[in-house]
Amino acid sequence: MRAAANLLAAAAVVLSTIAAPLAAQTAGDRPVPRAANGKPDLSGIWIATGAIMLFEGEEAFAAARAADTAAGRPFGNANSPPPYKPEAEAQRQRYLARKGVDDPMALCLLTGVPRINFRPLPFEIVQLPDRVLMLYEIHHAFRIIPTDGRPHPEDAEPSYLGESVGHWDGDTLVVEVESFNDKTWLTGVGSIHTEDLRVTERYTRDSFDTIRYEATMEDPNVFTKPYVINETFRLRPNERLREYECIESNEDLQRIMQLINGQGPGAAP
Amino acid sequence: MRRAIVAFLMSLSASGIAAAHHSFAAVFDGEKPVQLTGEIVSIDWLNPHFHFTIDVKGADGAVTRWRFEGYPPNMLVRQGWQRDVTLTPGKVVTVDGWVARDEPSLGAARWVTFDDGRKLAAGPPSGTGGR
Repeated sequence: MRAAANLLAAAAVVLSTIAAPLAAQTAGDRPVPRAANGKPDLSGIWIATGAIMLFEGEEAFAAARAADTAAGRPFGNANSPPPYKPEAEAQRQRYLARKGVDDPMALCLLTGVPRINFRPLPFEIVQLPDRVLMLYEIHHAFRIIPTDGRPHPEDAEPSYLGESVGHWDGDTLVVEVESFNDKTWLTGVGSIHTEDLRVTERYTRDSFDTIRYEATMEDPNVFTKPYVINETFRLRPNERLREYECIESNEDLQRIMQLINGQGPGAAP
Repeated sequence: MRRAIVAFLMSLSASGIAAAHHSFAAVFDGEKPVQLTGEIVSIDWLNPHFHFTIDVKGADGAVTRWRFEGYPPNMLVRQGWQRDVTLTPGKVVTVDGWVARDEPSLGAARWVTFDDGRKLAAGPPSGTGGR
């Protein structure tokens, strides 16, 4: 019996030494592609790890999160809940009590930054020498991020996705976003902000099939300190962007409008 | 695994990540799961959610018409659905989902199981967004 156990253990060791080099040849160990200027090339179709749950199921999601933990990639809020001043937190609580019926996204309005990066639909990054394009399946939205050294435009109007300008910090694409309107939520339900919001995003392609992402949200009107959220984006080599149209048959809009107009739980915030 | 699930729940509450379009709880009650078997009456393959209706026969023989909401077409296709093929009027299916908070015969579909045993994801998990 003991001999059999030893034999099994020996077999396991042999198998693991064979399996390890095989596993090492997965996409994760292919080199990070580089652009002509030597910077990492972020081009590809990506999706937030949280969405792997919907795309591939619970086991694949758990495996992805385990891989993130093993690689030291943070995810979720660095400081949860968002570090709101008391008034803003009270408002967030009112939105939470109303179960998210006031979500701007439910009205099919454009989703802001960084929330749009967390939607469970893929987005494509197209990296060009002088700008980076972000094409989102959700809302068919896009961002154009100049990386040629130009400043933010001076005539910017407050907008849902803001105005983005990028630069490279070593191998990390840093995107500064400003000129937001105050009509979007930042992350979860009730994560409000004002037009003074500034978001700094950091995109680091730390392996062939992952981008380490960090968004730092600063808004002195509502936060006591910067609000930071992290996620890993995963390459979807066999994916293509499809159409997503938001108002074609938004049946819930009618239900939600009734709730917003006072027929729902709680008073309007 | 347990850690991963906790982390997943954290990420949901942090970012409302699985809500493609609106908070699940805005319309549906994640505390009220429902499983119903019935005959497909109609399918609306539309954005931002597809809907279908089924006639469910109760123990007393009375028929209740249920309406279910699910993924938009872009996600259905990724889950293996085909328009006009996967779900057609007359097919008998079993739907697993959750009941709406304010409408008695409205539901959010999570899974649809077909009479050959095949099971396809029809919509996101509950509890996404403003829990």
